[in-house]
Amino acid sequence: MTQENALKIFKSLADTSRLRIVQSLTKGEMYTELLAERLGITPSTVSFHMKKLEDAGLVISRKEQYYTVYSLNRDVLESSLFDVAAAAPEQIDEQQKREAEYRQKVIDSFFEYGKLKAIPVQRKKKLICYEVIAESFTPGKVYTEQELNDIIAQIHEDYCTIRRDMIGEGILRRDGSEYVRMK
Amino acid sequence: MDTFIQYLTEQIDAGKAEIARLEEDGCRDDADFAKVRTNIYEVCRTVTNALANRPGAGPEAIKKQFENFRTIWGAALANAGKHDDARSIVIEEAKLKALADVTAHFPEAAK
Repeated sequence: MTQENALKIFKSLADTSRLRIVQSLTKGEMYTELLAERLGITPSTVSFHMKKLEDAGLVISRKEQYYTVYSLNRDVLESSLFDVAAAAPEQIDEQQKREAEYRQKVIDSFFEYGKLKAIPVQRKKKLICYEVIAESFTPGKVYTEQELNDIIAQIHEDYCTIRRDMIGEGILRRDGSEYVRMK
Repeated sequence: MDTFIQYLTEQIDAGKAEIARLEEDGCRDDADFAKVRTNIYEVCRTVTNALANRPGAGPEAIKKQFENFRTIWGAALANAGKHDDARSIVIEEAKLKALADVTAHFPEAAK
């Protein structure tokens, strides 16, 4: 376990509603609606808390017909508090970490549900967004202009500007009427 | 209309008390959702105050604005559901629930 995981565990448990959910699950598996009824909160609120508990690795879920059944992840819950508190930080270069956090912040600000909300004015931010868009293309695969436009248009309506910029930035290469992802 | 505004004010006060209780209980996320709910009553009170006595506005304009909110937030909820965005689903549901309560109290007050 890394310090990042430990932090997720402590953060997710530092909430009375989630602690009550964990406490309910100590009695056995439960599904969203039942937990909502028992705790007097809406099913969507239970789902929200469950997502946090799942992200921290404290809860596991499985689909059963129409229901999602939740249970405790005993592997994590049975580790000692000492072990969790003693978890070492992941060996990541600080500079790399800051860049990754910045990149994520830009993506979160400019994308919503896979759509680009606006083309950033700042070049650094624009490049990040174009790199995300580039992930829709298979490297080395040849695309026609129509195929390329269709894919970009699903992300942002101004596909012409984006296509031109991506070529200018060397993310895409144009060869006649064919396009290839470079980065 | 005064009764309706009074009702909204009561809901805002009750919401603030609930936020304080949830924060004290260590339910920070639930407190955030209660803030969203309370904010809707505040928004509706602002809209009502602004449109109630404006020439050419009045109850019908208020009702129309509430209907606009319902359409926008309903679409946002559908979008959040489509993308399985748990946090946004709770937020949009809370907004719509508060709005439904507001509109349920609106007609009689508007008479």
